[in-house]
Amino acid sequence: MEPHIRSAFDKDLEGIQALVMRMGGLVEHALLQAAQALETRDDALAEDVRAGDRAIDEMEDLIQTECARIIATRAPNATDLRTVLTVMRIVGSLERSGDYAKNLAKRSLVLAQMRPVNGAAGSISRMARTVVSLLKDALDAYISRDAHLAEDVRRRDVEVDQMYNSVFREFLTHMMEDPRNITACMHLHFIAKNIERVGDHATGIAEQVLYLVSGEMPLDDRPKADTTTEMPHVQG
Amino acid sequence: MKDIQVEERAVSDHKSKITARGVQVYYGQNHALKDVDVDILEGMVTAFIGPSGCGKSTFLRCLNRMNDTVSSARVEGKILLDGDDIYDRSVDPVQLRAKVGMVFQKPNPFPKAIYDNVAYGPKIHGMTRNKAELDEIVESSLRKAALWNEVKDRLQSPGTGLSGGQQQRLCIARAIATSPEVLLMDEPCSALDPIATAQVEELIDDIRSQFSVVIVTHSMQQAARVSQRTAFFHMGHLVEYGETGQIFTSPQNPRTESYISGRIG
Repeated sequence: MEPHIRSAFDKDLEGIQALVMRMGGLVEHALLQAAQALETRDDALAEDVRAGDRAIDEMEDLIQTECARIIATRAPNATDLRTVLTVMRIVGSLERSGDYAKNLAKRSLVLAQMRPVNGAAGSISRMARTVVSLLKDALDAYISRDAHLAEDVRRRDVEVDQMYNSVFREFLTHMMEDPRNITACMHLHFIAKNIERVGDHATGIAEQVLYLVSGEMPLDDRPKADTTTEMPHVQG
Repeated sequence: MKDIQVEERAVSDHKSKITARGVQVYYGQNHALKDVDVDILEGMVTAFIGPSGCGKSTFLRCLNRMNDTVSSARVEGKILLDGDDIYDRSVDPVQLRAKVGMVFQKPNPFPKAIYDNVAYGPKIHGMTRNKAELDEIVESSLRKAALWNEVKDRLQSPGTGLSGGQQQRLCIARAIATSPEVLLMDEPCSALDPIATAQVEELIDDIRSQFSVVIVTHSMQQAARVSQRTAFFHMGHLVEYGETGQIFTSPQNPRTESYISGRIG
């Protein structure tokens, strides 16, 4: 797209998008660190993640304020308007994802006091890495206005859903085998569910990319594979 | 959000008040307007936007045959008002202009009393039988133009003594005094301060239930605020015409996009 006649407008729009990318970087980092803290039972790292959420929240405030200022002073239209609207929605998703990372860190501090559940931390870590790669691709698609990559992210969320289904079954099995696992597995299950939600936020960001590029929200239901709501959870 | 506004945005069943097909305008050798097709819908405000020289004012002036007064101008194609060709030989342009009124960029009241400014049109068109009826038209026109309360005690003072915003509302009162069906406005607020502009915009919204309004404006935000349909002209072509909200959030044509986001002049 050609530059604006008023070059300061371009700077404003580039500015908020650069902030979104930085905020995205912080959230990705927080998720990976929190998953690592869980896996390595590293309390100090978990505390770092908890403390780091404040920076993510402040970033959201800053970006929302900037967006409000651009709307008030520049009255953006067309793609410019869609840029500001999508930035506002995306930072909402990122802030929420940051909260999930913080929650993961908090639960990992509790879990570190308990007997480890066989293989659980590894599964969670794999899930977190997958979700972070979705988030990263969604943000890359945003900054490069890449509708193909955005569609790809929407499709790949299925992988996260499937991972969630499989850890769900895993935890169920552990709990049935030994009731002493129940407390830990409940925490782990919340963690897995929250990571799965981050995947949904990544998909939401990908949909914002499609809206930004085409002016229309995608209509067709994206593929979903969370089958846990259809399974008979409790047996016997 | 009022339901009625949402309804209007959906593809409407509003009937076409003015239908233009294949309209070409030449000023001597200069081909100013190229093959314009448009339907101006009844009961709606239609905004024409585009850079200077794009043909929007030229097209506006075709709608009440103002271009007849420009000797070098030649108009081709069809413009129908309620299905009747306004360029038909049998149409009297003066009668047409009573039906299709116009308000200009600069307020241009007659150098006469406020009362006479408004009474002039109804008088020459023989719309009233006596003074009482004329008084009534003057009052109701000034009321519709949101000017009555400010001038009711000085109807005999000269119209030129009013402030710019008041003068423009006086011109609107004058234009609607002949009960037109369509009101054309060529940048009606460009000489007004923000408050007077807001008053005129409020007025436009009020009167559109009775007249179809077509407004040419250089203020993109004004087009977005007052109109339900927007037409973008560029270099003599009608580039895009559609629902105002759609034009300002997701225009289909890249030229519209560039213009409304401030990228081409």
